[in-house]
Amino acid sequence: MNNYNYKDLYIGFNQMFEVKLTEEMLNTFVKLTGDVNPMHVNEEYAKSKKKIGRIIHGMLTSSFYSTLVGVYLPGERCFLQSIDVSFKLPAYINDELLIYGEIVYMNNAYKVVEIKSYIKNKLGKTISTAKIIVGVIE
Amino acid sequence: MEIIDRLQEIFRDVFDDVTILLTKDITANDIEDWDSLAQINLIMAIEKDFKIEFTLNDVSGLKNVGEMLEVIKRKIG
Repeated sequence: MNNYNYKDLYIGFNQMFEVKLTEEMLNTFVKLTGDVNPMHVNEEYAKSKKKIGRIIHGMLTSSFYSTLVGVYLPGERCFLQSIDVSFKLPAYINDELLIYGEIVYMNNAYKVVEIKSYIKNKLGKTISTAKIIVGVIE
Repeated sequence: MEIIDRLQEIFRDVFDDVTILLTKDITANDIEDWDSLAQINLIMAIEKDFKIEFTLNDVSGLKNVGEMLEVIKRKIG
C-alpha cells in the first residue's frame, strides 16, 4: 500500500492498477447488495437485450475508485470525501480493467486533492469516468 | 459581475440550491448543508473561479460571508 504525504503530491501525479472481473465478484456483489436485476443475474435475459452477457454492476466497477485512492493515490493517508461517477459502457465477466487517476487540483489550505479518473477495458474503451475528492491525513 | 454575485453563483452550485441569496451577514448557521465538507468544497470552488490560493490562515477564522468577501478581495488584489 502506498503512503504518500500531501507534500509528496503534485498536479499531474498519477497512479494506476489493473483488475480482472470475475463471476465470483458479480455473485458476491449480488449477495452483498441484493441488486438482483435480471441484467446482472440472468444471462439469457441480458443477451435478449443485445448485451454480451450478464452486466457487472456499475457500482461494483466504481468500487475500484475506492481502491485507487485508498491503496494507491494517496494510499494509507486517504480520507475520501466525494466521488462523482459517469457511466459510459457496460463491463462484463472476464473483462480486464485499467483504473487510472491523476491529480488535477490541490487545495493547500485543507490538504485536499481532486483526482480525475477513469476505468477502461482492454479494448481501450472507457467504462466510466470519475471526479474524486480526497483529503490527505497528516 | 460583482464579487458577491460570483460568490452567490458558487454557493448555489455547491449547495445545489438556486434560491440562495447571499448577503454579507450570512453564516454557516443560515445554510443547512454548510458543514465542514461543504466548507472545503466552497473554498475549492472559490479558488478555481477566482484563480486565487488560500492558506489555512485565510480560511480558518471566517465568521460570515462578508469576511469571506474581504479575503477574496485581498487575494485578487
